Amino acid sequence: MKKFGVFLFVFAVFFSFAVVISAQDETTDPAAANDEAATEDTTTAEPVEIPSSVDMTLEMKPDKFVMPANFRGGDPDRGLVNAIEDVFYEQHEHSILYKEDAGEVAEGATFEGDPNITWDTKVKDADGNFQTVSSVNTNMAGNGGKFFAPGEYQIGNGGARQGDGGEGAEDVTTGNEDEDGEEAAGGDQTDEALVGENGETAEGGAKVVTANQAMGVLVHDVTPPDMWIAFQEGAGNIDMAATEQELKNKMVEKIVANLGRPFSQKADEFEDASYVFVDEGTNDERNLEPWKKTARLSVAGALFNDRGAPKFETKTVESKTLNEETATRQIHIAGGDNDALKGVFVRRNVPFIFAAMSVDNGNNRGNTAEVACRIETADGKEVEKDGKAYLFRVPNYPREDYKDQPEYFFVSKAMDKSGNLTTVRMPLHIVNIQAAFEGGRNQ
Amino acid sequence: MKKIKIAIFAAVVMFGSMVSAQEPPTGAPVNLEKTPWLKGVELSPYPTDLTPTLPLSIYLENGEAVPATVTEDVPLVLVADTAIFDNDPPTHANDQEIPNPRWDASAAVSWYFIDWEKNQNFNASTTPGLAANQMVVIPTTPTGKGSVTCHMARRLRYDAPEPGRSKVSYANSSSGRDIKVLDITPPLCGLEISVEKGKSGSFWPVEYPPDKYPLPKTANVYFSGGLFDAVDKEVVVEALELGPNMIVAAAQVAVKVAPDAKLTIRVIGGDNYKLDNTKLKYGICNAAGGEPIPVGPINEETIDLATLDLPDNPHIFVDAADTTGNRQVLFVPLKFIK
Repeated sequence: MKKFGVFLFVFAVFFSFAVVISAQDETTDPAAANDEAATEDTTTAEPVEIPSSVDMTLEMKPDKFVMPANFRGGDPDRGLVNAIEDVFYEQHEHSILYKEDAGEVAEGATFEGDPNITWDTKVKDADGNFQTVSSVNTNMAGNGGKFFAPGEYQIGNGGARQGDGGEGAEDVTTGNEDEDGEEAAGGDQTDEALVGENGETAEGGAKVVTANQAMGVLVHDVTPPDMWIAFQEGAGNIDMAATEQELKNKMVEKIVANLGRPFSQKADEFEDASYVFVDEGTNDERNLEPWKKTARLSVAGALFNDRGAPKFETKTVESKTLNEETATRQIHIAGGDNDALKGVFVRRNVPFIFAAMSVDNGNNRGNTAEVACRIETADGKEVEKDGKAYLFRVPNYPREDYKDQPEYFFVSKAMDKSGNLTTVRMPLHIVNIQAAFEGGRNQ
Repeated sequence: MKKIKIAIFAAVVMFGSMVSAQEPPTGAPVNLEKTPWLKGVELSPYPTDLTPTLPLSIYLENGEAVPATVTEDVPLVLVADTAIFDNDPPTHANDQEIPNPRWDASAAVSWYFIDWEKNQNFNASTTPGLAANQMVVIPTTPTGKGSVTCHMARRLRYDAPEPGRSKVSYANSSSGRDIKVLDITPPLCGLEISVEKGKSGSFWPVEYPPDKYPLPKTANVYFSGGLFDAVDKEVVVEALELGPNMIVAAAQVAVKVAPDAKLTIRVIGGDNYKLDNTKLKYGICNAAGGEPIPVGPINEETIDLATLDLPDNPHIFVDAADTTGNRQVLFVPLKFIK
């Protein structure tokens, strides 16, 4: 009885080893399985049924810039990967279609060659449809790139590979090298002969197998909005309210047409009004990584120096982090004696108006928003218009000559939907010049 | 009792072995020499989400099957039939039930034409006005081995196990049809000519407009170099019918050389698929049009005009054919200067 127990034990252990070995053959060595199947195929020549498509996996690689599910207060169940613009992300995908052997696609099948792999980036339009932004045939299962504009994207991967089920392919001529040129298929075509030659369908041993998978990505805006500020002096019987509206209309038209960039760099084209332009900059300055983001400040016209000389000057301004958690950024233009932008210089007793507009890359600079702006004293108290325009009767510049007069500041603030800010705070100087400014319009 | 313990132990070992052997081989190492496309991939090929793969079939607009052979540059309107456009989303993914599934976005659709001979694909063209499941596919690249593929994905929302929560995955649907693309574009061959101790120049045809259909195809012929008074510029003879009778008129441009010049000639250009090198001919012929009547040697790199009995209306010609039989013969006048 004891011997029988030992025999039973030994038998059980051997049996379990046998199961392990046979199971491993089936699962971890499909190549061997394929070889066997292939051998079998050569003898039986039975075709293998290959599926049209197989599963695929796809995901964004973990990265510190893959933001949490509730980023910026978003719905954690939204199911989109939260990302920020202008940062490099890597994605990877996998499928049994990309394995070395085709055993898992269909037992006994083989792959005819390498897979064809394409990465598609589509963006959701206003109608909820996905429009292709890029389609890159890399033939690689890993991919990387940046999103250059905020929005909802869908990253898709399409894979295809030719599998062979062992059946012979049909011999359909594409270019029959044995035929004479005049008689060959394409040598002397008629329209009727061109499409669907012989009505044959694509059935054969080699068959394309496909796979695809997608991933939604919500790309958040980290670029402060572009801002244009225009100042225009008036005099005499000019209707300043009409002038202000005209100025706004002109800005609306030009800021969109120029995607936020200054509409001119020639000082003499700013005779009507003087402008402050704050924008993301020239092509090579745009779409920088958030921590490298700059803005380009340009001032154009006669109101930015105490002599009233027309000029166009430009420089870059660094951005700063506004909120670490929400990854928002701010561009702040601070004018003053020690800054490139000294301030705005207006003449006493000359009425003037100003207006500010902004565009944002969050909607591809497609529409404008009016920017809140005002003149305030050093303690933050707003200075009201004198009728339909601003008018100062007492100069306050140079400061050492008018220490008793209040300091004035022009302030403006543009915020995009994501909370990125562009702000300007610069001194407003009232100069005691009776002579007309060079190039001034209402002289 | 001991016997029973032994039997239980053996059974446990056996059962454990069977279970572990049935798990998918997720941890199998990747051989990057054989699968270089997996470089950088750290992902299992087996989805764990409820991400259904739906069948898709592709056929012609009229409901017929996609032909095995199609013709270069001839548009096909293809239709994809898949449940991804159905009102109701799939209820199962790999035999697992999807709890309360609902569509969460429109389907994103991509169509490609793959040339397997180059393992390169091309986006199919979009024509506004077509339904979302239709696409105009223009196979612009002849190939003996190609496929048209269609890939679709649509965001799917379903209930998460936690009450009030939901999850997102994608329903996918893709398929392909293998096709061969017949070459209907003749070769685009030209010549590079150098005169010994003299000027040089070259001419070559360019299909224009590209991928033109219906036939005939047309080409512009470009002339460049001092031999054609075209230094740092190109002289263009426009809109010749691309085929076996491409004649450049003497009033337009000519190869002007001394009657005793020694020419070195080299063929440039080729075919958009496969040039039949056995049929390539170039040299000097009598008159232009029809079958070239050679004067002197054929396919000689150097031609000494002094040794030839030149006719009144000599031309330089290049006669090329591709393996499909499309033929191009280009005649350029040869004029003598003193």
